[in-house]
Amino acid sequence: MELPLLTTEHLSKLVASNAPPSQLFEALSRYELQACLISTRGDSANTGGSDSTLLSLFYSSFFLIHLLTDQVSEARALTKQIPEALLQQDPSLQNCLTLLRAVWQTQHGQVYQVLRGLPWPDVLQPLVRRYESFFQDKTLIAVSRSYEAIRLATAATHLGLDQNLAKEEDPNIISNFTKYGWTWDPESKLLYPKPIVVSLAEPQSSNGIHKAMAMLGTRAG
Amino acid sequence: MTLLSDIISASAQLHNSNHPPSDEYDRQVRELVQYFRRLQTTKALDSLANDESFLDRFDPAIDSIPYLFVLHVQIQKAQELNADSFPADIRPSGKLWICAAHFLTSFDGVQVKYAGREWRQLIELVGQVSQAASMASATLVKDAMLRLDPSCAVFTSSHLLLVRLCLEAKAYSCALPVLNKQICHFPISLGSPPSDPSVLCADHGSGVSFMTEDSRISSKLSYRDYLQYFLYGGMVYMALKEWRNALHFLGIVISTPSTNSVSLIMVEAYKKWVLVSLLEKGKLCPPPSITTPHVAKVYQSIARPYIILAHAFERGDLKRLNAEIDAANGVWCADNNLGLVTQVVGAFFSQTVIKLGKTFAALTMVDLSKQVFPSPVSAEVTGSAVSSLIMSRDLNATLVQTKDDAESSMLRFSSIHSLPRLSHELDLQSQLKQEMKLMETMVINLGKTNHNLGLSDEYVDSLHKGQVWSGSSEVNPIVGVEAGLEMDEDLMGDMS
Repeated sequence: MELPLLTTEHLSKLVASNAPPSQLFEALSRYELQACLISTRGDSANTGGSDSTLLSLFYSSFFLIHLLTDQVSEARALTKQIPEALLQQDPSLQNCLTLLRAVWQTQHGQVYQVLRGLPWPDVLQPLVRRYESFFQDKTLIAVSRSYEAIRLATAATHLGLDQNLAKEEDPNIISNFTKYGWTWDPESKLLYPKPIVVSLAEPQSSNGIHKAMAMLGTRAG
Repeated sequence: MTLLSDIISASAQLHNSNHPPSDEYDRQVRELVQYFRRLQTTKALDSLANDESFLDRFDPAIDSIPYLFVLHVQIQKAQELNADSFPADIRPSGKLWICAAHFLTSFDGVQVKYAGREWRQLIELVGQVSQAASMASATLVKDAMLRLDPSCAVFTSSHLLLVRLCLEAKAYSCALPVLNKQICHFPISLGSPPSDPSVLCADHGSGVSFMTEDSRISSKLSYRDYLQYFLYGGMVYMALKEWRNALHFLGIVISTPSTNSVSLIMVEAYKKWVLVSLLEKGKLCPPPSITTPHVAKVYQSIARPYIILAHAFERGDLKRLNAEIDAANGVWCADNNLGLVTQVVGAFFSQTVIKLGKTFAALTMVDLSKQVFPSPVSAEVTGSAVSSLIMSRDLNATLVQTKDDAESSMLRFSSIHSLPRLSHELDLQSQLKQEMKLMETMVINLGKTNHNLGLSDEYVDSLHKGQVWSGSSEVNPIVGVEAGLEMDEDLMGDMS
């Protein structure tokens, strides 16, 4: 099937769609070649034309989708492919670089600041919000496995929750954790996390293990 | 009739032929390719070299053969007419480059199996003219390779071209769809034409049946190409910080059999192997056991600064490590390994903390800071660094905070809490699934290798000799493989 032409309208629709991140990633991957060809047409950032707008939208979206599919190293590699002039001058791509730095250095508080505080174009807002939610969930799982006891303020920092409310031991803040089975001890003022287990693999099936074992048996000896 | 109408009529016959795989279709495509090769040899195709509208008349997805041959002629003509071997038309975004891109993203995989040489030449041209747009070229080459043979199990010159382009373009993840495939074959030499004429258009699930030496889908491969591919592949994985895969690729390079001299590529790979093993395992890993002992000795002597660096790292002596890094700064720069060495210093903290877990059950942040950092560092900084390590799963431990301050927080190694049983088993299941997929690929390809070896001239010769030597006609064809293996031993009989 012929791939539709890469246009701002088409990209905006894709980005705003509710498709799973892996599908969005596939869809945008197919446009990489077109984006490369557009970028070789000339120094897009200097022309100030529609090419630079289109490329900025493409690379920013593609970058966010890399993060949304948990491909941080690949997202970093992507920033090396973006035309240097465009990368240096485009505000959205600059935001992406700041976000990458925060994610790379696991500065959780900084990640939320970048996502919420920096001016992202309207067209990218759906992706930015999706990534914020993804990052929050991912961090919650990691914190639940990494701490046996954690101060409310620390947990709130990891999840990008209001620090002042955390200091006041606001019940709404506490309920963000207790709804996942964590325990709040008002005496020690500590949260006791319950590890959240998520399967990275497909839905459980012991067939796979049986098959592997059977194959080991037939090839042995 | 004009040449154009001849071509249209020849390709129309193919459209009317039965859908592949069929003998009729196979014959039609072979004839069409022969027809175009004849036109090329007799220079008859040259009359279309300047016909700009010709390619617009054909859809490369349906008429891949005419499109490919005429595109070739037009590219050659453009090169002949210009002093520059890569004129504007064939550079990225040039008229012919766009036609090439259109072809490579949409060609018919079955038809192109019959014109492997021309396909390979086009791929190579796209790679050569890339320069500023090597990212676009890398994407084109990758897509074309996967389109022609989704298994990518046969090592070809296109593999090396792709990885080189990806490194040049820093498009590391672009190489992954090919790098992550298991290479199980080299292009084989069939010796004589295959007995089954429909072999090319049939779907074999792997390229081993049509990616032969005769097809010239790959240019002639050397020992160097093989080593370079795995070294470059390792470098792609290093760029993406997939240390385990990088180590695997480098291991292939450094353990390649060698009789006396050691290739410079192998030495380069060993230097990177030392650094990557520190990053992945926190220690200097010995070369794979199949490495020839004399080669391992050469590595030890040539890569001396790297070995000293690794020993300083293993001893947990940060001052010594920094001193060794400063002393051999010129070596790291000359070897283009400065980036890796810098990362080794970065990994020192995490590896030191992991090692502490072998001695201590738990440590407070204050004690941990004293153990790890030579100069005083606040417990908060240590806590934040340790928290990152645990959350990224580099360290199997848990943190226990107290309500007071960061200093009294505790790092507890190997807690039951840190590794929930279910999570561990799910990870194990996921790993088993991956291993099972790998084994399935290996089993299928082993069968094919076995089959190809059975068809090789050497095997048939040895089987024939075996029948003569046995002096009887009791050679059971069913146990031919075993008979062949026995003959290998008997071949020494020639020496007596």
